[in-house]
Amino acid sequence: MATRPATAEGRETLSMLDPAGAAGREALALALGQALGAPVAIRDVVALSGGANSATWRVDAETESPEGPASRRFIFQRSANALGLPRRVQAEVMRRAAGLGVPVPPVIAVPAPETGLGDSVITGFVEGEALAPRWLRDDRYAAAREALALQCGTALARLHGAPRSHWDGLPLASGSGSELLSNLFATYRRIGVDVPAFDLAFAWLRPRMPDRSPTCLVHGDFRSGNILVGPDGLTAVLDWELPHHSVPEEDLGWLCVQAWRFGAWQKPVGGFAAREALLSAYRAAGGTVEADSLWTWEVFGNLKWGMSCLQLADDHVSGRVPSVERAAIGRRVSEVAADLVHAIARGDL
Amino acid sequence: MSHPSARQLLEAVQLFLKEAEAALPQRLGFHAKVAGNVLAIVARELEADPDSAEQAALSAFGGAAGACAGLREGSLSPADPALLAALTRAAVARLDVDNPRYPTLARLKEQP
Repeated sequence: MATRPATAEGRETLSMLDPAGAAGREALALALGQALGAPVAIRDVVALSGGANSATWRVDAETESPEGPASRRFIFQRSANALGLPRRVQAEVMRRAAGLGVPVPPVIAVPAPETGLGDSVITGFVEGEALAPRWLRDDRYAAAREALALQCGTALARLHGAPRSHWDGLPLASGSGSELLSNLFATYRRIGVDVPAFDLAFAWLRPRMPDRSPTCLVHGDFRSGNILVGPDGLTAVLDWELPHHSVPEEDLGWLCVQAWRFGAWQKPVGGFAAREALLSAYRAAGGTVEADSLWTWEVFGNLKWGMSCLQLADDHVSGRVPSVERAAIGRRVSEVAADLVHAIARGDL
Repeated sequence: MSHPSARQLLEAVQLFLKEAEAALPQRLGFHAKVAGNVLAIVARELEADPDSAEQAALSAFGGAAGACAGLREGSLSPADPALLAALTRAAVARLDVDNPRYPTLARLKEQP
């Protein structure tokens, strides 16, 4: 039975199998069986999260192994629309990142279109807490928070350290900092509203954003909400939906954006560390970065988050996606405006 | 007064949403919570007038539209101390309504 998946806002989607339904389970068992080379029985499929662009399920299965039947958990994730990078490309980036020593969930299979499973990927299940407010506040993760700056700095240095040829054959976007800024400004003018603090940030960033060509692949959305954290720290880097060719500071600055600190503003790196801790970990792992240029990209990151708030609000205001959640996000623009004014007027955030 | 004020009507709906939030399934419950937060913004906006406050803060620069245009055209500098002070007042006025508990608000209210 083909059903419409439960996407956040009822955006039009292709007809795809419900992975928790009988036909969906059968398709999952088939895809997993092919990938593992052994029969697989699906025991349970549990919806974990559904966003506007992507939805995630946990798949509990039983597989045959030489030692007898074994229980295994997987993650099934699929795109809710055709706006993003195809999962097959994301999976290949993850495989190649894993080869560099970046902790990523192991890619098990990319189901073919004829499975009816949609644009999706099956990965191994990695233990860890995905909810940042939980691992940022809970005492059980105190040691993890101590370890995270080193672990994130190291993971990013490994990713950024790969030569461009490591990503050959993958259709990934590429652009300089100043190009990213002009694209963001074009979006701002398309929406057509006036936010004085945003224009302040655009004017401040224009002479500062670098023209230099991309030097490496960046994750593109490396933040405290997109990593899995266990009692000892980082267990996996998730959400490889936005990788592109850029400069290292884009990832490092994005990790410092106020919104991912979840209130712990005294710890600029994701709410868990000082900038210096991230920079020294990054350099110790072979990366090169200057504090000045990190700051420029941090301001850019805050503006980019503010622009996301504006765009989500515009979905509601324009009538494209009527939603109380998106309308409310529109008022978060004031938070980002205050952050940008503080950053530029006082030189810190 | 014999009939509830706009403020009292809002409070009544806020109470109702609180009740509904607990009874609704996860996703709808979350939206009820968001809706409650939205009404809190509306209630604060009935008291304050952030649009006028922003215009007043930026009056020397032609209001919000004037400041934006000046920064876009380059006739205003992002390093201008008077502009930065005015933008700080404007940001504070908006955040007082939109999220008075946001940490950066208290930091902006401190003297630099």
